[in-house]
Amino acid sequence: MKAILLSIVLLTPLLALGDDLDMSSSIQEVKKQHEALLLDMPGVVSVGIGLDPNGNQAIIVGLDGSHPKTEEKIPSILEGFPVVIQIIGPVKAQ
Amino acid sequence: MADELDTIRSLLKNNRENLLRRANVVATGIGYKATGGEKTSKLSIVCSVKEKVDADQLSEQDVVPADVAGIPTDVVQTGVIRALQAPTGRFRPAPGGVSVGHVAITAGTLGCWVTKNGQKVILSNNHVLANSNDAEIGDSILQPGPFDGGSFPQDHIANLTQFVPISFEGEPSECPFANAVIAVFNAGCRVINSNTRFKVAKVQAEDNLVDAAIATPLDPADVKDEILNIGPIQGAVAGELGMAIKKSGRTTGFTTGQIQQVDVTANVQYGAGQVARFSDQLLAGAMSQGGDSGSAVLDDNNRLTGLLFAGSDTTTIINRIENVFSALGISL
Repeated sequence: MKAILLSIVLLTPLLALGDDLDMSSSIQEVKKQHEALLLDMPGVVSVGIGLDPNGNQAIIVGLDGSHPKTEEKIPSILEGFPVVIQIIGPVKAQ
Repeated sequence: MADELDTIRSLLKNNRENLLRRANVVATGIGYKATGGEKTSKLSIVCSVKEKVDADQLSEQDVVPADVAGIPTDVVQTGVIRALQAPTGRFRPAPGGVSVGHVAITAGTLGCWVTKNGQKVILSNNHVLANSNDAEIGDSILQPGPFDGGSFPQDHIANLTQFVPISFEGEPSECPFANAVIAVFNAGCRVINSNTRFKVAKVQAEDNLVDAAIATPLDPADVKDEILNIGPIQGAVAGELGMAIKKSGRTTGFTTGQIQQVDVTANVQYGAGQVARFSDQLLAGAMSQGGDSGSAVLDDNNRLTGLLFAGSDTTTIINRIENVFSALGISL
């Protein structure tokens, strides 16, 4: 019993350290982290997770029309995940 | 050939009343006779019947004769022929997929019937049943919606029971700190006799998860617990990327699509320049138009997966049904 407790005490900091060392974020985390900034850009109406033309998981940014300046500012890759820009038009309650 | 058709046409004209009088016959026409399931090149008088019955079980005057003046007949089972009813019409009992609306709106879609406290209630959007927050509990819900000719009290089907308020951007803020700061500024403005005052507005409203509301029917007999052109709901399922989906709605009827994005955060325009941000949404290709809002979205196995509420020219935005259920405390 003592040994088990001891190993838990000793291992817990190691496990926590392991978490810190894991630098790769999921696409959900990356999207969440960047979406407010993306949605503040002129013309951006949606940010979601879908597939790029190659079938890889991608962050999809929807625009309400053509916005060359915004399109220039949006990176094509965010923390390793592809970003796809789609012109979807204004989103309206139906 | 043309002569033969003309001959049969006049023959049918003279005999159709006599044929339609027979039990089970619902339609007569001219078509190629089918024998043993194979279509032949022989023209015949086709009698469509509700149900094919052996001749010995029918009285003599109900049996379709084998031929009419030498032209063979063909008996085909079609079932009862009904007028196709547009979803904008009045339905009692009312299924999902038909027009519905708060008395003060145009029209949206009755999504489906769900259960609240053991009772069947209508599920649709806040902006369909609760006029985008501008409604009181108990307000009248019409089927069809006002735009489709629904009027009070004839078409009054239910009363608004509950809605999830939509948080719009730029609404007055209820933040006590910001309001206290502004009060000081405005006191200063008064001191210097300025006619300017400050107002606190939310720069960023909290994210919405659902545009949803429920309404309780006045008469439980008006409940038809299925969806027009789809049928009964067979459970619920979480929406996933790539899932094939379908809906039945007031404007575009039965349409299909595919979930192209999940975890979607979107800025959605409501009337009068209001914008609301929604997160954790599903996004599909174009499968709806104005008036389809409130449609239930189902997968290939008729499992409920979402509540349709918005869209653009190329997309459809859908609330996750699990978020709708937990926000309203409802189940199937």
